[in-house]
Amino acid sequence: MNGNRRRPTNSIEVNVLARWVVAVFFFGLAGLFFVYLKNQQHAVGDEARSVEYALREVEAKNEALKARITGLTSRGALQRRVDEGYIHLEPILDSAIARITPPQPAEPDGVLRTASRDPDSRFGGSPQRIISR
Amino acid sequence: MRKTGTRIGLVCGLMVTVFTFFAWRLIDLQVAQHDFFSRKAAEKHCIRIVIPARRGRILDRNGEELAVNIPVRTVTADGTHIRNPAVLAALAAPFLDMSPKDLGEKLSTQRQYVVIRREVSEEKAQAMIAAMDKAGLHGLYLEEGSVRSYPNAEMLCHVIGFVDHTGHGIDGIEKTFDRELSGQDGFRMIEHDRKGREIVIYRGQEQLPQEGSDIRLTIDMGLQAIVEREVDTTYKQLHPKAVTAVVSDPNTGEILAMACRPNFNPNRFNDAKPDEMRNRAISDMYEPGSTFKIVVTSAAYNEGIVDDKTRIYCENGHFSYGGKIIRDHHGYGDLSIPEILMKSSNVGAAKISLRMGDQCYYDYVRRFGFGEKTGIPLQGEISGLVNPPHRWDMLTKTRMAFGQSVAVTPIQMVMAMSTIANGGKLMKPRLVLSMGEGTSVEKALPVREVVTRKTAGYIATALQRVVSPQGTAPLAKIEGYPVAGKTGTAQKIGTHGGYLDGRYIVSFAGFMPADAPKLTGLVIVDDAPIGSEANYGGLVAAPVFSRIGSRAARYFDMVPESSGMMAQSGTNSLTAR
Repeated sequence: MNGNRRRPTNSIEVNVLARWVVAVFFFGLAGLFFVYLKNQQHAVGDEARSVEYALREVEAKNEALKARITGLTSRGALQRRVDEGYIHLEPILDSAIARITPPQPAEPDGVLRTASRDPDSRFGGSPQRIISR
Repeated sequence: MRKTGTRIGLVCGLMVTVFTFFAWRLIDLQVAQHDFFSRKAAEKHCIRIVIPARRGRILDRNGEELAVNIPVRTVTADGTHIRNPAVLAALAAPFLDMSPKDLGEKLSTQRQYVVIRREVSEEKAQAMIAAMDKAGLHGLYLEEGSVRSYPNAEMLCHVIGFVDHTGHGIDGIEKTFDRELSGQDGFRMIEHDRKGREIVIYRGQEQLPQEGSDIRLTIDMGLQAIVEREVDTTYKQLHPKAVTAVVSDPNTGEILAMACRPNFNPNRFNDAKPDEMRNRAISDMYEPGSTFKIVVTSAAYNEGIVDDKTRIYCENGHFSYGGKIIRDHHGYGDLSIPEILMKSSNVGAAKISLRMGDQCYYDYVRRFGFGEKTGIPLQGEISGLVNPPHRWDMLTKTRMAFGQSVAVTPIQMVMAMSTIANGGKLMKPRLVLSMGEGTSVEKALPVREVVTRKTAGYIATALQRVVSPQGTAPLAKIEGYPVAGKTGTAQKIGTHGGYLDGRYIVSFAGFMPADAPKLTGLVIVDDAPIGSEANYGGLVAAPVFSRIGSRAARYFDMVPESSGMMAQSGTNSLTAR
């Protein structure tokens, strides 16, 4: 007669099961994390695209405004303003012009002069002359 | 028991067959036909978007903008994204200046790319997209682009030129430097989702655009405005067929101003007539008349054929040669070389030419740059017309001496006068100062030395007397500044040959200050209907030169010889009110 009175059962190996559960959990977690990262990537990409779009929009608006400013301040536009009387041209008499010696750049020899004595400066004849009222 | 084993074997065999087939198909799809399906997928989702390069600006020598870009959008539609064309059309039509019906017809398509409207302003395009987003509608998209704008409109139109609807240069600097201005478009490979939105994380190969270079011209817009105003006034007052004016720096060959009438607005070039679009300074040739006398006198003096003491008998204004009579406006006796220039004696000039050998004279004409293109970087330049000696008849040489039987362009005449002004060097005209980041295109180099400094000085001194009260152009005088120059009055040639009675091309070419030239100028008035008595270079073109020179002197702040003379004249400053 068999002395073991326990009913024969299939034992559950908790250790192995736990190991598998943990492995599957981490695997699942990794998968979810991957999906989360992918979503984040898409979200950041969308954000980057929006920022790029906004930047282009601002640049385009800036260009448009610059072109408008150029148009409004062009010689033709200013001349029109003068003709309309919005801008007035005031003659400056020659006697009210003070001419001073223009700064002398370095000579070809590389030596910087401390003072200019060259009367033949650009479009100017006698640089020392000061005419004023 | 045996039957069961057979069944298991059959099932297993079937499974093996099925999975073998799947495996083979998988390998076929993923490996064997990988490229084919990748391409198919790419065609479906990947597109190559062009990143347009910004077209370079055109600036004057002081950085003033002459040609700029205005951003605009091209509105396109993807028919597969449009659910209700009528609703979308009703919403978008006002932004696109289209009727809802027309727009609705365009949107009722299954094509994925339909251009709806070009050159929509940035503001309107953005407002349309915002309205669509608010209404939850899709299907219309924006593409970047720009249109060229010329803020000064007609001013300097012949030099700047214009671009066509594709953004490529058609005329002027826009055409000559189209490649440099255009730059190189970039691109980006992208993938998009079902709604056509880019999936940024799958962004592929990318190449940034190379922006077009800014081009800085030698033109000074301050001076250009002065020249334009004077040319415009002359054109409106005298109603000639055309007016041309060019101002250059004789020492460097830089073109500082260039204006022609009639002209056009490059912002609306489609409305312009061909006659208005021609840059007459480079593409028109004319008989120069007496301005050409500087060539024969310089050549003869340079060769030692005439000198300071030479006096030419001018036959009292009637010189019979080759069966024809050469006439002067007034009869003169013996004249020195400066007096021949001062009085503009045709007889004197003809007699000087007769002292020269044909080939020698021809060589000097060519050395002054006539009969060949100057090389100015503009489209449509012509070389003029100078016949070689073997094609001359008996009269040609004497006629050429006073500017007949020869055809020149205004730019050639400016460069020839600059040769006298700068001491004898023929300069190549420069129109571009720099390109891109301050890179100089070419240095101011003389093409050749035409005459000696002594000869140039002698002729320059003689040309100062032209502007004296005894000369032909006292009206070219500029108060406070010595001026040298030469008048020209030439009869127009008819389409069937022969000269036309009472129709003249009058001109004045000169430089200032005569003792240290800074500016060379030429004014040509073509066929002004003012009668033969008044239609002379000294009466029509010289005053225009004087006004331009006077205002230019103040603009450049040239110090007058006698400052007291200038006390009454004034320069202008802007005062807003």
